[in-house]
Amino acid sequence: MSGQIVVSGLTKMFGPVRAVHNLSFTVAPGTVTGFLGPNGAGKTTTLRCLLGLVTPTAGTATIGGLRYVDLPQPSSTVGAVLEASSFHPARSARNHLRVICTVNGYPASRADAVLDQVGLLTVADRKVRGYSTGMRQRLGLAAALLGDPGVLVLDEPANGLDPEGIAWLRAFLRRLAADGRTVLISSHVLSEVEQTVDDIVIIDKGALVRQGNLGDLASQQGSTVVVRTPDPDRLVSALGRYDHRPGIRRRDGAVMVDGLQPAEIGHLAFLEGIELHELTTERSDLEDIFFALTGEGADR
Amino acid sequence: MMTRLLRAEFTKLFTTKLWLWLLLGAIGMTGLFVGLTIGLADSAGNPSPPLNTPEGQRNLFGVAGATSALAIVLGIIAMTGEFRHETVTPTFLATPRRGLVVTAKVIAYAIVGVGFGAVGILAELALALPWLAAKGVAVSLTGNGIPRTLIGVLLGLAVNTVLGVGIGALIRNQVAAIVGTLVYFFVIESLISALPTIRDYYKFFPGGASSGLANTYQPNVEFLAGWQSGLLLISYGVAFAALGTALTIRRDVT
Repeated sequence: MSGQIVVSGLTKMFGPVRAVHNLSFTVAPGTVTGFLGPNGAGKTTTLRCLLGLVTPTAGTATIGGLRYVDLPQPSSTVGAVLEASSFHPARSARNHLRVICTVNGYPASRADAVLDQVGLLTVADRKVRGYSTGMRQRLGLAAALLGDPGVLVLDEPANGLDPEGIAWLRAFLRRLAADGRTVLISSHVLSEVEQTVDDIVIIDKGALVRQGNLGDLASQQGSTVVVRTPDPDRLVSALGRYDHRPGIRRRDGAVMVDGLQPAEIGHLAFLEGIELHELTTERSDLEDIFFALTGEGADR
Repeated sequence: MMTRLLRAEFTKLFTTKLWLWLLLGAIGMTGLFVGLTIGLADSAGNPSPPLNTPEGQRNLFGVAGATSALAIVLGIIAMTGEFRHETVTPTFLATPRRGLVVTAKVIAYAIVGVGFGAVGILAELALALPWLAAKGVAVSLTGNGIPRTLIGVLLGLAVNTVLGVGIGALIRNQVAAIVGTLVYFFVIESLISALPTIRDYYKFFPGGASSGLANTYQPNVEFLAGWQSGLLLISYGVAFAALGTALTIRRDVT
């Protein structure tokens, strides 16, 4: 279980500000996990604690049972992409990577190998000053991949990318995941990572809101059945007599039913002799679930 | 481990152009001071010791030490640049044991400081020796305490560069660290060395220790003995480097 990430009782205070509060979650080896929460939820602080850049006030964050600082070969164990600006503007991409190669004792050829992997080889000798946000993001990924680590930690990698860049990133992350790497990727927008991740960890105001499988979350939140009928009042009163007391709302002349299957509603309507014009299932949008859980959509 | 960290520090230094500009600046500054020292040597009212005296020759060959401000700036930029450009994040990700990183930087920049001084000394010799010969001033590089002066210049620049690394670790804001340090050396220390009574204590300040180490002469100012000045200056360097290291280990990188 070398790639397991365990965050346990993690708390970080910045002066009087509590950025992370008693946060615990685990990331299983070989999975791609989305680390989600609105801006300021404590995602970056948590990741920086995990990478030994920020000292937790309490609790621990470990990779394969070890704190980052105790890893014998940190760059060969964990690759991290934190922000797109951690480069000296006057240094070329190739030289930036060579510095990291030198520190870790990797051959200089690794720099060109990862530059090729992220598609920057042709601009490798250009100073980073002239790089676009997307190119910097790719260079960050290249640096993270130098040691061919089994665990990747990415903080908002899609920030500042254009749609083309986001599509590239998605495909790239899927390839990395297909290699069997553990990937922890943070985002404040669920839809950015929805197609890439297996599991999700949602935090808000520094505390855990939900951890689990993405598919389970969607089905747990259930689905809504939309029913259209010329006689909605009779349908609503018939549903009101139902044993399970389903959730009923009206929207645009339709009756929205939570907690019942379409077949059950159709059967009830048949028994009551109510004419139906529509009986469809509407799956909750994951983004709505995310907003509901983090309370960010409260004022929408 | 330390070898790799040292090599990485040199790679960092030589993959941007900063070192070249500062070195050219040091050569220019040394040349200017050599020119002023020899050019004004015979003018009336010059309080400096004449060039045919040992003191005068030591002062002349000690001018490369005047680039210590640039050496400190080099050290400051080496450290604060990591914070300014956030390269400290990949640096600490590659080497999470931060004490090792700062130690490597201190050792690397002590070496860089010696190299910096060696280039300055070569520049001053290249300019001064033919000039003195043309003026008919006899000079022997092995006499008049000149070897000690040259070694003092090299050691002084090495320690001053390390001092810069330490200052940079303490004051991570690059502009603030550079401006503060230059104001200190060019305004505060100049005042200390010029004001009566106060100037008696100048020998205990880093600038005074650097001058004492190179055994140069300044009217009305006394310096400590060479070895005392050397120990004092090294103590300043070690103190700032140790304090900077301790803070760098403890501070969060956000």
